[in-house]
Amino acid sequence: MVSRLTLLKELAAIIPNDVLVVSSIGNNSGFWGQLTEREANLFHATLGMCTPAAFGLALALPNRRVLALDSDGNLILNLGVLGTVANENPKNLTILVMDNRNYLGSHKDEPGMPTATAGKMNLAEVAKACGIANACTIQDAAGLRAEIHKALAGSGAHFICASIEELDNDRPPRTKRLADPRENKYQFAGYIQRTEGVEILGSGLGGG
Amino acid sequence: MKLEKAQLVVQGLKEAGVDFTAGVPDAQFIEVYKMLADDPDIRYVGTANEAEAVGVGFGAWFGGKKPALILATSGLLVATYHLARINILHEVPLLVVIPYRGDIGDPRWLGLYKKTTEPGLNAMDIPYRIVSRPGDIVRTIKECNESARAWLKCIAVILNEEALW
Repeated sequence: MVSRLTLLKELAAIIPNDVLVVSSIGNNSGFWGQLTEREANLFHATLGMCTPAAFGLALALPNRRVLALDSDGNLILNLGVLGTVANENPKNLTILVMDNRNYLGSHKDEPGMPTATAGKMNLAEVAKACGIANACTIQDAAGLRAEIHKALAGSGAHFICASIEELDNDRPPRTKRLADPRENKYQFAGYIQRTEGVEILGSGLGGG
Repeated sequence: MKLEKAQLVVQGLKEAGVDFTAGVPDAQFIEVYKMLADDPDIRYVGTANEAEAVGVGFGAWFGGKKPALILATSGLLVATYHLARINILHEVPLLVVIPYRGDIGDPRWLGLYKKTTEPGLNAMDIPYRIVSRPGDIVRTIKECNESARAWLKCIAVILNEEALW
C-alpha cells in the first residue's frame, strides 16, 4: 500500500502552480506545506470544512482549477457536501481524499480509532451515489497521476479516493515553519487578489 | 412571514453588496430563501447542513465574493464549530443573518433559542445587532456587512418577531 507522503510528492510534481489547493488539518497540511512552496495553498481546513471550502472557492472562481486535499475522517464529518457538489457540479473542482481508514493515526505510532471506511463505507461509491459521476479509488502514484491529469483536463467535479497506509511512517523532513491560519489567509487572499483581480481584504481604510 | 418583509431582507443584502449566500431553508424564513434562490444577482447555495454552509462561504470569500449565511437559530447551533473556527482562528468575515425564533414574545415552544443564540454569538466573539422594526432591516444589514468586511470579523444581524412577522 502507498504512503501519504509518496502520493503528495507525486501530486507536488505534477500539479500546475496556479491550481488552488485547499488542504485539511493534520498531515495533509503539514506534509503539503513542507513539500511545496506555492502561493496557491490554503491550509488548515478543519474537520468537515475542507471540501466545502474548496467547493465555495470553485464556485466563486469558475475559471480557476481548485483541488480539495481532504481526508476520510474530515470529509465524513460533512459528507452531505458531496450531494451539494454533485448538484452544482462545478467544472473546476477536484476532491482528493487521503483515506487512511482511521482517526489520529497520522500522529501516532499505531493506528487510531477506525473511521467508517475501515468498515463497510466506500467513499468513491458514496460520491457516485451522490451524483459525482467521475469518482474512483486509486492505490498508487501512477493511479494518482493518471486521475489528476484526467481531472485537470476534464469538466465537472472529480472525486479521487486515495487508499493509503494507516500510519504516516514516511514523513518529509521539517525544514520550515507552516504559516498559521491568519498568516496564510493574508498570503492566499493576496495571491488571489493579484492573480484574479478581485478585492478580498477590504478597503484598508485606516482611522484614528 | 410577509412577502414585503422578506423583500426588505433581500434588498438589504443587495444594497450591502452581498453576492453569495448559503444556508439551509428554515420554515419561518422560507420566503427569503426562495427569493435568494431565484435572484440572478445573488448566488444561493443550499447546503446539507449549516456547518457546510460556513465552509462554502469561507471558500467563496477567498474567491472574492461577499458572502452571507442565512441561518435559523437552530442552524446557528449546527454551524457553531466552523463559525467559531473561521471567526477566531482565521478571522474571515461572513455576514450572518438570523431570524430570531425563541425571542421573548414568540408564542411557540422555542425558548431554547433565547438561551443559545445571543450567548452563542458572544462566545464565538461575533458582534451582532438585533432588528425589531422593519424600517431598520436594510440599513442594519448594510452596516453590519460593511463592518464585517472592514474588521475581518463575522457579524450577525438578528431579526426578531416584531421585524419579521
